[in-house]
Amino acid sequence: MYTYVTGISFIDQVKEGIPPGSNILILAPSMSSGELLGYALAKPRTGEYALILTTVKRAVDLLDYFSHEQFDRKHTGIIDSVTKLSTPDIVDNTQVTFVSSPSDLTGIGIKFSSMVESIFNGEFADADDALFPPPVRFYIDSLTTLLMYRKLEVLYQFLHVITAKLKKMEAVGIYILNNESFDEKTLSLMKQLMNVVIEVKTEQHGEFLRIRGVIGISQEWMPFRIQQGNLELMA
Amino acid sequence: MIRTGITGLDEMLGSGIPRGTRAVFSLEPGVEGRLFMYRTIATVLTDKKKILIIAPHSSGKAFCSEFPGLLELVDPVRAGDVVILDSRARDSINFQEKKLQSRKKAWKTLIQETIDTHAIDVVFVYFDLLYEDLGLDGALGVLPSTHQKKKITTVVEHLNLEGDSLIARFASGKHFDLIISVHSAFTLVPFFNFFTLEYVSWSEMPRRSIPYSTGNRSVSLYIPKIIIMGPASSGKSTFVSNASERGISVDRGDPDGSRTTVAMDLGWLHFRGFDITIFGTPGQPRFDPILPQLVKNAMGIILIIDATRPDSLIRARELLTLPHAAKLPLIVAVNKSDLPHQMDEVMIRESLRLRDDVPVFFISSLKRSDVHFVIETMVDRITRHPY
Repeated sequence: MYTYVTGISFIDQVKEGIPPGSNILILAPSMSSGELLGYALAKPRTGEYALILTTVKRAVDLLDYFSHEQFDRKHTGIIDSVTKLSTPDIVDNTQVTFVSSPSDLTGIGIKFSSMVESIFNGEFADADDALFPPPVRFYIDSLTTLLMYRKLEVLYQFLHVITAKLKKMEAVGIYILNNESFDEKTLSLMKQLMNVVIEVKTEQHGEFLRIRGVIGISQEWMPFRIQQGNLELMA
Repeated sequence: MIRTGITGLDEMLGSGIPRGTRAVFSLEPGVEGRLFMYRTIATVLTDKKKILIIAPHSSGKAFCSEFPGLLELVDPVRAGDVVILDSRARDSINFQEKKLQSRKKAWKTLIQETIDTHAIDVVFVYFDLLYEDLGLDGALGVLPSTHQKKKITTVVEHLNLEGDSLIARFASGKHFDLIISVHSAFTLVPFFNFFTLEYVSWSEMPRRSIPYSTGNRSVSLYIPKIIIMGPASSGKSTFVSNASERGISVDRGDPDGSRTTVAMDLGWLHFRGFDITIFGTPGQPRFDPILPQLVKNAMGIILIIDATRPDSLIRARELLTLPHAAKLPLIVAVNKSDLPHQMDEVMIRESLRLRDDVPVFFISSLKRSDVHFVIETMVDRITRHPY
């Protein structure tokens, strides 16, 4: 069974990574590195693909970020729900597609399926080192924005479908949510769809994360930082 | 009639959607079903109708960018064949009206005024956000009434996150005259899309599912694989050849001058609005190991048997035990029936242990009309089969 390396050393060493079909929720306060932690987890390793749904940054800014952080751009696809708000005429290409707004769940679903199809058909990028099924990391940055555009119940139903598809594809899903902006009901509903929850907190002397849902792994707070797009645990 | 512009679908509906009715395209998440609405909009515009598009999920410009040529038609200087109520209309109503009832009223008034001012013929509604803002009954309530003096046709696209229960509500409440649900058969990957005609108020049409493919912003009804199988020398290659507009065959010449299919026959045809691919399998038992792979993902099986060879029925029965075969629509075509033969339908049914609903046709593969009749029946059965 293929497993997804996380960059979190003790998960990778003890468990050889995260099993396919996992869905990981990052709960992080604003102004923290939670979003970057998501990108570090979504970074495609050799033979893998990453699909990013951005509701926060424009694709052009993300591509710029990927260039600086040694992200494998060739194996990364972006569904951009931001740019069309200001540049309606922008057109899709193989690796970057656009939807009209974060409220357009129909469009998001279609672009997601179409990118998955092109990856599975070997049309997305050169597939010299292709694995089958192709390992895919799908990152939604962020649920916070989607929840501003759509009702909780609707988003829950939508994510229910997406997480089920990721399981069938043997992919992993990564989602970030600002835990300061929503009530317990929202957080608890979102957690229901997930296997793993990574909580992030910021203190005076640094940032910490805590992992829930991986059996046999410490649930203590651990200091971390993101360096060149990679997660570094400080402990 | 309002045509959808989708060949095959319009024919099934009796040339389109009648004026003054309501239709809904109910989309499963992730399936490329937007083209149903796009094609209908494009066709209605070609037919010189005036349309209102309610697209609360998008800015007007972003919506038009998905639709080449639409922006020019929205141009108010040209008096506008197209009016769009976009996300600004929604934002404005939600900002000004804080109560649900007043929001409903505001939407209803805005839509009716737009219809009257611009002499609108057809209203296209992207329903999700109206549903979310107003609830199902509220959102249905703001759609143009079907009892207006001028017959307004309403076409709705909806992302269905509730599945069959919502379709059942639409149908039982008679909210729509036409309900089409759009799905994707998703295993590891979406390997084919299909739509289901769930309900048609103006016709006694059974519920039926039809696969489709998309490309060049159009929807083509599509049957990716029909299998033609049968014992050796039963006439499969002739059947495939006469059914197809073009095709290839991988044959080997035997010492006696006959030819044997050693891999498969492959044929393509466009029939009754469907793009169809047919696969003829080799009949020799030594090729049996490849049959399960060929049958995989097939949508129907046509079993060809030779009317003059009762001894081949044992082999035909053997072929029907293939994995997957039992779950697919099946037709038995008794070939060479124009030659002297003793086999009759009762004998064939008993020998092959056929279900009562499996049709048995006596044909000659040499006659295109016979072959096309079998294909037509198979298409009909595929469209009624619950995959």
